[in-house]
Amino acid sequence: MQTLEAGGHRVDLQDLHAEGFDPVLGRAERVGYHDVPANREPVSDEVHRLEAAEALVLVFPVWNYGYPAILKGWFDRVFLPGVSFTIDAGRVRPALGNIRRLAVVTTYGGDRLRTWLAGDPPRRVAGRHLRWLVRRGAPYDYLALYDMNRADAARRAAFLDRVGRSLEGFR
Amino acid sequence: MKVLLVHCHPVPESYCSALAEAARGALDGAGHQVRLLDLHAAGFDPVMKADERRRYNALQAGEHPEPDHARLLRWCEALVFVYPTWWYGQPAMLKGWLDRTWTPGTAFGLQSDRIVPLMTQVRTLVVVTTCGAPWWFSAWVGFPGRRTILRGLRALCAKRCRTLYLAHYRMDASTDASRQRFLRTVERRLARLR
Repeated sequence: MQTLEAGGHRVDLQDLHAEGFDPVLGRAERVGYHDVPANREPVSDEVHRLEAAEALVLVFPVWNYGYPAILKGWFDRVFLPGVSFTIDAGRVRPALGNIRRLAVVTTYGGDRLRTWLAGDPPRRVAGRHLRWLVRRGAPYDYLALYDMNRADAARRAAFLDRVGRSLEGFR
Repeated sequence: MKVLLVHCHPVPESYCSALAEAARGALDGAGHQVRLLDLHAAGFDPVMKADERRRYNALQAGEHPEPDHARLLRWCEALVFVYPTWWYGQPAMLKGWLDRTWTPGTAFGLQSDRIVPLMTQVRTLVVVTTCGAPWWFSAWVGFPGRRTILRGLRALCAKRCRTLYLAHYRMDASTDASRQRFLRTVERRLARLR
């Protein structure tokens, strides 16, 4: 956040825990899921912020080879038809063309090998699906610190530097 | 066999709920002891809060944040998950259940920071799911939801743990006939579990 602000960017920090975001897509939202545009009403603030962004930076820990539930719920509830994609005569098309820069910053408890053996689901979802939703050709970084439980201070500092350098490159 | 059936869909009259019902019927019919855990009906809270995260790495067997769920996990010999695949993975509700209940001291141990499986009594893992995406697109993304359970969780179960993955793809283009066919497939395959 400091790096981005120092780079002259306006940053909207959406701290899901601090904001008390509810990740559970409940009955009413499931029933009304395909009702564009009424489907965005329960999460209008989150949708508005996503649509106002030109760059998206996700910062989270990987738990059990996936996003923490609160972030997974942000995808479930906010990445709606008419928001992140459209369904046009049965064809699904991406709709987050406003996002022209994408970065993911994450930490893993498992080491790279163990994670690779499990198929590294969060890397794949970010690298394949999320990238497909945003503007075509948008620069993308996936910054991951593996084997977090055994990472010493030096490795953690080096990772922080790496994240800083990547975000300095935002234009 | 003691089977824990974890069902996760917010709409009780949904197709997914029908799948869970069919799974339960088939397992009951085959003589297994089945316990149904309906996460939405139970009002499970999937969000791990700050204090729980602070204590997480050092959790011991008797300190589970959700003791009832810990008992279910320790009890079962097979796990059957029924859920819709959203964004290539488990709904947040189910992901949060994995995060909050598959904890150190219960699902795995941390010995000098190495992961030691503790769910070794689980010899069977089953996923029954519905996907909006077609098979090929799910394959291109790399079946993240399937891998989370069949590889991630399986690593904490018995060494030769069997797995079964049953998915109905392209739900938005599904028909009564395709849904019925899948329902029958689920019943047939689960009735054969030993």
